[in-house]
Amino acid sequence: MNTLHLYIRSMGMLLKSQLQYTSSFIMQTLAQLVMEGGEMLAVILVIDRFENLKHWTGGNLFFFFGLMSVSFYITEFFGRGVTGNFPSMVRSGQLDTLLLRPRGILTQVLCSGMDPRRISCIAVGVVALVMGSSMSDVSWSVLKVLALAESVCMSCMLILGLFMIEDILCIHSVKSVELVNALTYGGRSACQYPIDIYPRPLKILFSVVAPFALTMHVPAGYILGKPLYGWPVWTVFVTPLSGAVVFVIMVMLFNRGIKFYRSTGN
Amino acid sequence: MSYIEVNNLRKTFTVRKKREKGKFFREMEIIEALQGISFVVEKGELVGYIGPNGAGKSTTVKILSGILTPESGEAKVGGRIPWKERKEYVKHIGVVFGQRSQLWWDVPIVDSYSLLKDIYRIPEKDYKDRMDELVEALQLEKLLRTPLRLLSLGQRMRAELCGSLLHRPELLFLDEPTIGLDAVSKLALRDFLKWENKEHGTTIMLTTHDMEDIAELCSRVMVLGHGQKLFDGNLKDLLEKYDTVRTVTVKYNTAEPKLELTEGAQIIKKDGEIRITYTPSEIPTANMLELLQRAGNINEMTLESENIDHLIAAMYKEMDL
Repeated sequence: MNTLHLYIRSMGMLLKSQLQYTSSFIMQTLAQLVMEGGEMLAVILVIDRFENLKHWTGGNLFFFFGLMSVSFYITEFFGRGVTGNFPSMVRSGQLDTLLLRPRGILTQVLCSGMDPRRISCIAVGVVALVMGSSMSDVSWSVLKVLALAESVCMSCMLILGLFMIEDILCIHSVKSVELVNALTYGGRSACQYPIDIYPRPLKILFSVVAPFALTMHVPAGYILGKPLYGWPVWTVFVTPLSGAVVFVIMVMLFNRGIKFYRSTGN
Repeated sequence: MSYIEVNNLRKTFTVRKKREKGKFFREMEIIEALQGISFVVEKGELVGYIGPNGAGKSTTVKILSGILTPESGEAKVGGRIPWKERKEYVKHIGVVFGQRSQLWWDVPIVDSYSLLKDIYRIPEKDYKDRMDELVEALQLEKLLRTPLRLLSLGQRMRAELCGSLLHRPELLFLDEPTIGLDAVSKLALRDFLKWENKEHGTTIMLTTHDMEDIAELCSRVMVLGHGQKLFDGNLKDLLEKYDTVRTVTVKYNTAEPKLELTEGAQIIKKDGEIRITYTPSEIPTANMLELLQRAGNINEMTLESENIDHLIAAMYKEMDL
């Protein structure tokens, strides 16, 4: 409870910091809007050109896109410490400061960063989700709402977990490892389309290694009334848990990695 | 049992060198940052920790504050091992890095303090009392609503000190606290540290390059070089050990006097002044004065021992650092 309280207070503080530079904040938020709007435009163009992608209609694709945007940018919004700041904290030695405080390191890293500019990206995602569900004539039920909520939560944990790979590596070599971006940003770009349009290696990559397909596409297929691979309903609530599994494993590795931290000179 | 007990502490770093041409693997170099350091510090002591850059000062501080784990050796602070049970341990210590900020850059410093209160789980009443006390002692009243980034270096150091002492640590580490500060700020800082040490019995360990910090504050000084402890005692003893050279500057009323100097003294004549450098162990100061008197009518005379920084430089040189 106390930790949550601390997190909320830290977020308030960070927001305050960001708003010290109001004009820059507004401009960057708008820039993000343009960027994410552009991504959505790409989907619109695809739909305009092909109408269908396999058995997925245009509305379905909007839904997939929206689900990814909402999950990915909620993660970046609230978890900026993990998704962006950590490598520079290691390099600048700011991690030392965190080690001097009687709190968990991961808690403090999460408390150290937020990115409120992402609000515009989340908004684009929500618009896509609403458009997608109305174009696909989704008949919402309690179960479907639950499936969507679980999907977003688990996807956020998955994305956070994947970003932590980079953090763990950089504790060891004191340098950011771009390779991991293939999983995180690459996963975002690839998995805003349903998994079954991809060839086998990519299917495996995004179901086993970085299971976006399990946290997003299985529930989304159910919500859209086209179960992925025709899997039964219970899988919709089970497979997304893989996101939590990835997250827990990464948290364990992270805490192990911290023991090897060697600090930088001053 | 002493408050801090350090026994044969070792720490090595492996540094990957740049890959040389024609070699497939990069060579590794092992740097021994600490080669078996031992010392004890009693509660309430104010200890200075000096040594040239790269001697292992910061490494010691980092190990004792729980950031780094040593290769071998023991260290106990107040009965706790710093690098084990980190969270429990750091509640009892405060650390100020002269070149690294612990407060939040863009928000008023009072907001930073209030967040630290939550991080350290300081009870409301305790926090208020301590804040009042520190704000007064550090003269922070007018700065509380100012964001950290708008503070001058001296003000920022005071703000950092307040932040690191809010939770009433028993032990305070200061890593080069006076670096870059002006004379007034330095004096204020030293006064504050003395006050904190006296008032609350806080044990203070500081690393510095400023010998005046040591002379003003520390009852005890440890010299570190190449990862080894070279001296441990009070500053006076250290200076006596290395304080070898004196300089006399003399002005005479009459025209240039004829000095009959014994061997071992050097003489420089410049702008109607005579500067004589000598070593008291070779020529006792009394003899030197007598010699000057005999030479003629002294108008002005100053006798000075060498600048403390020069002494330390000489010491480092002699110790081959």
